[in-house]
Amino acid sequence: MGKSRIAAVMSLAAAVGLLTAGCGQGLLGGDSQAGDGKGPIVLGMLIPQSGSEAAIGPYMKNAADLAVEEINGKGGVLGRKLELKVADDACDAQTAVAGANKLVTEGVQVSVGGYCSGATLPTLPIFGKANIPMIIPAANSQELVDQHLKHVFLINGTGSQQATAAMAWITKRGAKSVALVHDNTSYSKDIAVRTQKLLDEPGGPEAAILEAVTPKESDYSANINNILAKKPDFVYWTGYFQEGGLIIRQLRQSGYKGAIMVGDGSVSEKLASIAGDAGEGVFATMTQTPDTLQGAEGWVASYTKKFGSAPGPYTNQAYDGVRLAAEAIKNAGATDGAKVIAALEGIDGFQMFSGPLKFTPDHTLSAGGFQILVVKSGKFALQDALK
Amino acid sequence: MSQLIWNGLFVGSFYALVALGYSMVYGIMKLLNFAHGDIYMLGAFTGFAILGAVGGISPGMALPALLGVLVVTMGVTGLSGVLLERVAYRPLRNAPRLSLLITAVGASFTLEYGMRAAAGADPQVYPLRLGGTSAEILGARITLQQIALIIVAVALMVGLNLLVTRTREGRAMRAIALDPRTSALMGINVNAVISRTFFLGSALAGAAGVMAGAYYGKIDFLMGFLIGLKAFTSAVIGGIGNIPGTMLGGLLLGLLESFGTFWLGGEWRDVFAFGVLILFLSVRPTGLLGERVTERV
Repeated sequence: MGKSRIAAVMSLAAAVGLLTAGCGQGLLGGDSQAGDGKGPIVLGMLIPQSGSEAAIGPYMKNAADLAVEEINGKGGVLGRKLELKVADDACDAQTAVAGANKLVTEGVQVSVGGYCSGATLPTLPIFGKANIPMIIPAANSQELVDQHLKHVFLINGTGSQQATAAMAWITKRGAKSVALVHDNTSYSKDIAVRTQKLLDEPGGPEAAILEAVTPKESDYSANINNILAKKPDFVYWTGYFQEGGLIIRQLRQSGYKGAIMVGDGSVSEKLASIAGDAGEGVFATMTQTPDTLQGAEGWVASYTKKFGSAPGPYTNQAYDGVRLAAEAIKNAGATDGAKVIAALEGIDGFQMFSGPLKFTPDHTLSAGGFQILVVKSGKFALQDALK
Repeated sequence: MSQLIWNGLFVGSFYALVALGYSMVYGIMKLLNFAHGDIYMLGAFTGFAILGAVGGISPGMALPALLGVLVVTMGVTGLSGVLLERVAYRPLRNAPRLSLLITAVGASFTLEYGMRAAAGADPQVYPLRLGGTSAEILGARITLQQIALIIVAVALMVGLNLLVTRTREGRAMRAIALDPRTSALMGINVNAVISRTFFLGSALAGAAGVMAGAYYGKIDFLMGFLIGLKAFTSAVIGGIGNIPGTMLGGLLLGLLESFGTFWLGGEWRDVFAFGVLILFLSVRPTGLLGERVTERV
C-alpha cells in the first residue's frame, strides 16, 4: 500500500515536471519573438520582497511600475511597450542568484534592480554572461564598482562618496573622536572602513574604534560598552535601520551624549520609531529622497495618488532606473546588450532626481549627491546639502 | 568589569527563560522543538496586539500594565504550545526521531511566515516602552526596568523549579522523562502531562517575548530564530533536560558573549562564545549539571 502510494506520488511529480518544462519552453519561445523586435521589452527587477529588508521592495516596485506606466502611456520605446518582471532577492545571496537566473530565462533585456549590495554582487556575472546591462538603483558597495564590469551601472552614490560626505559632516561638526559601527555586511563594512581611512589621515578628527555588531539581535549592550570605553563624541552607524534604531536607543540609555549619525541604509521612519525619543537629532548621510527633493511635489503627488502612500526610500532611484533604461534603449535603437551599454556610456545630461546624468569611466555618478539629514519629530529632514 | 558582568547576566536571563522550554521538552520527549524560538516571537506579537487593543497607558502605570499583559500572553502562548504539540508532534510520537526533528523545523517556518502574512514583514514598535535612565551601581549602569525584568525572570524560573521538584505534576513529568511506558502503566496520563509541559515551556517563552518587546522596543517575525539557537546552546551548556543547569547555561552564555565582545571585539564574539562551547562539550559532553545517561538494560 505504502509503496504504491509513493509510486503514484512520484509519477504525479514527474508529470507536473514535464508540464512545467513544457510551459518553460513556451515562455522562451515568446521571448525569442520579443528579441525579434515584436512584443514588449522586458525589464527585470531584483528587489527584497521577503527577509529582513522586505519593507523596501514594495517602494521600489511601485516606483518602477509608475515609470513603466508613464513611458507606455507615451507610446513606449521603439514602438514597443515596456514590461516589468520582478523577482525576490530576500537580501540574500542565494535567493538573489536564483532570482537572477529566473529573470534571465524570462528573457529580461535590462536589469533595473538591486538594493542589498551583498545580494546584488553575486548576480553581476549572471546578467553579464547573458549580455544584460544592469542599472543598479540602490545597491552601492564599492565592491560592485571595483570589478570594473562593463555591463554594471550604478545610479546611487557609492560607498566612497558616502564616506566622503560623512567625513565632511564630521569635520564640520568639529567632532574629535569618532566611533564607526557596522554590521559586517559588505555594504555596511565598506562605508565604515572607508570613513576610517579618511579619519586616519593626519590632522582632523580621529577614529576611536571600528566596532562590528551581529545583525538581527536585540541586545547590543556589549558592543556599546566597547564603544563607550573609547569615549567618542561622534558615533557613525553604517548598517540598516532595524539594528540602527536599537543601537541609538541603547547608546542614549547608557548615557552617551555625543552626536549620532547613520548611513543611507538606516534612513527610514522606522529607525526613528524604534529609537523613540533617543532618535531625535540623529544625523544621516543620504542621497536625495522624495522628502528633500526640490521641485518634485508633482511627482510625489502622482505617486501618492496611485499607491495610496507617500514614496519611501529609493523610490526616486528605482523610478529613474526604469526611465534611464528606456532612454538608453531608445538611443541605442535596439535591445541588444552591447548597444544599450554603449548608449548608457554615451548619455550626457539626462535629467534625473540626482541631477543631470553622465557616468564616470567607472560607471558611477560623477557626483554622489549625498546630503546630511536630521531626525526632527520622528521624520528625516534636510540638515545640510553639503554643497 | 561589573558592567560586563551585568550585561551578560541581563542578556543571559532572557536566554535562560527561553532555554527552559527547550530543556523541559527535550527532557520529557527527547524532541528538539525548533519552533520554540518562534513561540517567543508569538509572545512578543501577542503582547503587542493586546497593548494595541487596550490603548493609551500612562507611563506611571507601565510596569503594572505590563505585568497584566505578561500574564495574559503567557496563557495565549502556553495554549499555542499545547496546540503545536497536538497538531505537529503527537501524531509523530512513534515516528523516527528524524521525522520529528524535520516537523519541528517545519513548524518553526510555519509560525515565522504565518506571522509575516498576518502582521507584515515590517518590524513593529512596541507601544509601551520600558526606557528610563540608568544609574551607576557598583560601577555598572543599571536601569530600574532591567532590575524589574530580572526579578520577573528569576521569579518565573524559581516557580518552575518548585513546580517540577515539589508537586505531583512535576513528579509525573520526571517519571515520564525516565520511562514513558512504565509511567503510563503506573496510571499517569502521559499525553496530558506532555501537553502541560508544552504549556509551561511556551508560557515562559511568551513571557520572555513580551519582556524583550517592551524593553528593546522592536519586534519582527524573525526575532525568534537567533534567540532560539542561543537558547538551545544554553540548554546544551547547562545540561539539556536539567532545569537548574539550563538556567545556569543561559547566564553562562550571556557572560561568554559579553566578555568575548570586550576581549576580542564584536566580530569575534560568536567565535569566542561558541569556541568555548565546543571546548567545554568535548570535556564535558553532558553539560554543566547534566547527568551521565546510564544505559538501561
